[in-house]
Amino acid sequence: MIFEIAIKMKKGFSNPHSTHLISDIKGIGVKGIKSSEYMPVYRIDSDITKKQAEIIASELLSDKITEEFSIVSYNSLSDKKIEKNSIEVWFKSGVTDTVSESVVKAIKDLGIENEVKVKTGHKYIFKGETDDKKLTKIATGLLANTLIQEYKIK
Amino acid sequence: MKKIKAIIIRTAGTNCDYELKSAFEMCGAEAERIHINELIANKNKILSYDILAVPGGFSYGDDIASGKILSNEIKNKLGDNVKKFALSGKPIIGICNGFQILAKMGLLPKPEKFEQISTLSYNDSNKFECRWVYLKTEKKQGDTKCIWTKEIPDVISLPVAHGEGKFIADEKVLKEIEEKSQVVFRYCDKDGSKTQYPEDPNGSMNAIAGICNDKGNVFGLMPHPERYVYALQHPAREGYDGVYGWGKQIFQNAIDFLK
Repeated sequence: MIFEIAIKMKKGFSNPHSTHLISDIKGIGVKGIKSSEYMPVYRIDSDITKKQAEIIASELLSDKITEEFSIVSYNSLSDKKIEKNSIEVWFKSGVTDTVSESVVKAIKDLGIENEVKVKTGHKYIFKGETDDKKLTKIATGLLANTLIQEYKIK
Repeated sequence: MKKIKAIIIRTAGTNCDYELKSAFEMCGAEAERIHINELIANKNKILSYDILAVPGGFSYGDDIASGKILSNEIKNKLGDNVKKFALSGKPIIGICNGFQILAKMGLLPKPEKFEQISTLSYNDSNKFECRWVYLKTEKKQGDTKCIWTKEIPDVISLPVAHGEGKFIADEKVLKEIEEKSQVVFRYCDKDGSKTQYPEDPNGSMNAIAGICNDKGNVFGLMPHPERYVYALQHPAREGYDGVYGWGKQIFQNAIDFLK
């Protein structure tokens, strides 16, 4: 089973990764985007249970005071659905993902001994006038280093 | 007389551990930098020390969030003994990344509860702040609750270097630590008055720069006292006895407390 855990700031708190994004988007000439929300995403491929995924999300991947999490699960990557008006950025296959290595270690520290594969990604959700052309320009111009990262838009 | 023994926990990405060792040694203690794996392999080793210090730095590359992975590791692998250490009344200090670790594992502000009820989050400026700041030492009837800050002047300056130093807790927790005089240092201007950015480098709730537990032995702070043990390290060469910086007094206090 694949679990995708997205971490979101609670109301009243902000993540610096999204703070300047709107002005950066205007800076590359994309108009009509009103707001953006950033979420780090952790994709865990393992035979862990949903309960264990929740423990990983609440005890490890999110901060109890300032953040909240959501979990989606699917059997294979082909079942995954991309959220509307969003961009996801992930490392290309074969690129070293150092944060994921730390997460694998930390999951073991939590006492979960199952074999886990972890990938880390970034998710950006936009509000305003979006279309594929604008999202592609934002993804390639600002968010993804296409040499080592791939992006998906919807 | 038996020398007081301080342990400094180190792992991938910790820094200022040598400065911390040197600070304890110049105050008369025997200090050792011990890797976390060695402590996990020998779980009772930590209890043979008199002072526990968690240094600054970027443990595990600040992956997930600052201090998150080391706090998770210490809590799950050494939690019982670290809690026992804290409740025994022995001095514990967490500096910068060390403060983030103590808060995220829940050793501060309530080690008896040992659950996370506060955090250090992104600076309001959204950038890394690396400079000297002024701190007001919180005192009640002229004295501090924290055993680490005895004889510290009302206003001192210390260097900060962090991107996630904004102290956050919910209203109830904040009220409780204020009422119990657990706030040790607040960011201030040079006269000790209330201030805002840039004197307050991160926008912490109630300008909190450091807190202690109710007993006063567990202390966490974002500024770096180990970087100011000599007056020469201060931009204006300020200090005491013509030689020392006020950071030294913080470590001296822990050692004097144990004597």
